[in-house]
Amino acid sequence: MPMRKATAPDPELRPDEVEQDHAEEPEVQAEPDDRDLAAVESIRELCEVSGLDMRPEVRGVEGSYLKIELIGEDAERIFGEHGRMLDALQFVANLIISRKLGPGVRVLLDAGGYRERRLKMLTDLAREYAAEVKARGEECEIDSLPPHERRIIHKLLSEDPDVMTYSEGEEPDRRIIIAPREIPSA
Amino acid sequence: MSQDSVARTLQYLAEGLVDDPAAVSVSCLDDRGTTVYDVHVADDDVGKVIGRQGRVAAAMRLVARAVAMKSHRKIQVEFGP
Repeated sequence: MPMRKATAPDPELRPDEVEQDHAEEPEVQAEPDDRDLAAVESIRELCEVSGLDMRPEVRGVEGSYLKIELIGEDAERIFGEHGRMLDALQFVANLIISRKLGPGVRVLLDAGGYRERRLKMLTDLAREYAAEVKARGEECEIDSLPPHERRIIHKLLSEDPDVMTYSEGEEPDRRIIIAPREIPSA
Repeated sequence: MSQDSVARTLQYLAEGLVDDPAAVSVSCLDDRGTTVYDVHVADDDVGKVIGRQGRVAAAMRLVARAVAMKSHRKIQVEFGP
């Protein structure tokens, strides 16, 4: 585990830059609107041209994320087993969707239960690192993760009163730093 | 023009990313067992299919590779005007 001397976030950065992954979106479940349906249509077209046994099913709306599960034998066998390919598909699909529909609609793709397995793995990792940070009083860095996965860790550890998180570096090498939370002096 | 599924996927993705979708074309040729796909876009659109630090191109290559897994083919994807 890469432990580092505890340092404060770069003071040159404005708070919103330091905290940009935290940008909390309301976790309300909503019904997909017309723009969401247009986004699903883009994914459906993409599935069709790919010639793969794969089709999108909407699983709900979470904040500005439209959750879509890719159903089908190829979806599970290829994108469910190769998370980098799933993330690549999601990244390109979101670029295309934002060009077509403007900002504000983003899809979160899943296949073959990949995101759930990944969520468990990221949760375990975050808890293990947080425990280490508390034990040593030093900050540590997690290897680069895509934005939607950093968001999971920021959110999870925001509930821990003893640590704080922020991100450093540029995409695609942006990494989360877990640091001891400073005790405010009375 | 009949394209295979990898070429069709690359065509669809590129058209969705550029300002001039009519200028997008995908050609392919066989190079000793590897299918090499050339994604052509308008001069001004090359940056859009490559992206900052090549991120868009890298993602498109991965998606193309995913599609090619079904037919167990080795592929390579190039981008240019």
